[in-house]
Amino acid sequence: MPNRDYLGEFEHIVILALLRLGDRAYGVTIRQEIEARISREVSIGAIYATLNRLEVKGYVKSELGDPTPERGGRSKRFFRVSAKGMAAVNRTHRALQRMTSGLDVIERYS
Amino acid sequence: MPRTSLIRPPIIAAWLVDLLTPYEQAESIPGDLLEEFSDLVSKSGVAIARRWYWRQSVKTIGLLIGIGFCVAPWSIVGTVLGGYLLLAFGASRSWVEDAIVGVIQFRRHHVTPYYSNLEMENYVFWLNASILIGHLLMSLLIGCIVAAVAKGREMVATVTLGFIWTAIVVKAILVLVTRHWPEQAFLLHFLVDQFGSSGLIVMGGVIVRESRSAISRRRPSRV
Repeated sequence: MPNRDYLGEFEHIVILALLRLGDRAYGVTIRQEIEARISREVSIGAIYATLNRLEVKGYVKSELGDPTPERGGRSKRFFRVSAKGMAAVNRTHRALQRMTSGLDVIERYS
Repeated sequence: MPRTSLIRPPIIAAWLVDLLTPYEQAESIPGDLLEEFSDLVSKSGVAIARRWYWRQSVKTIGLLIGIGFCVAPWSIVGTVLGGYLLLAFGASRSWVEDAIVGVIQFRRHHVTPYYSNLEMENYVFWLNASILIGHLLMSLLIGCIVAAVAKGREMVATVTLGFIWTAIVVKAILVLVTRHWPEQAFLLHFLVDQFGSSGLIVMGGVIVRESRSAISRRRPSRV
């Protein structure tokens, strides 16, 4: 039976931001990347709520960095996409491609 | 050291974020907000940075409760259920009232006998006030117990319990009012008792969370 667990819209955006940022992906950079690329202002809480959900599903992994003075001595939590997460991105991407192929609405309304 | 590092974000907003952030994110979320706030102070000025911090905090606080719940849903449900049973037990049993009446009766018979209406009114006033304070203290204690058990998710557990208790109280008031409009003094006493209880349950969470944060600040440890 095929795995039908596709990513939600915002989950998809967050994972793509993680892939773009590589080893620089933490709350601030993820938020800024999303804001810069799609002009969508998101709260840091929304980012962490989504990352937490993705971590529970096993799609992302996280680790703490070193504390820094500009953060009041607090550490950054760095995130990276797991192999399971990559499979979920590919699955979602393929599903979207299959659904949009042959449709000219995207061209027409873009 | 740059001057912007000395400018702090709004105290209340920062305190609320610290208070509601689950233990697992206690470093990352407040740290991320502070880092972006410092950047914004140097780029756009203090006023814009403070407004941004407040906007982010308000949006984030609700989600933080959700994160706390998602991280350990069953432990939160169990803790809140236990707290609710304690509250229901405390509300159904009259042991608080019995104890207070016992103390006041002891004073009445053995220390200060009542001779006039004024003294009787005083007795009734202190009886009602003592019962009210007894109930409120019991709610505060239950809030502290719930928060102590829900380690790392003190505020999620106590806020959830506070909301549930408030919802039950609102339903009880609607039932009470639709059947028979109660006496004003009774209604006021009831409202202070029940809504005060909800507030003090959350206050119990604040006390435990702040105590734990103070201890962890003295003994810094990594998550």
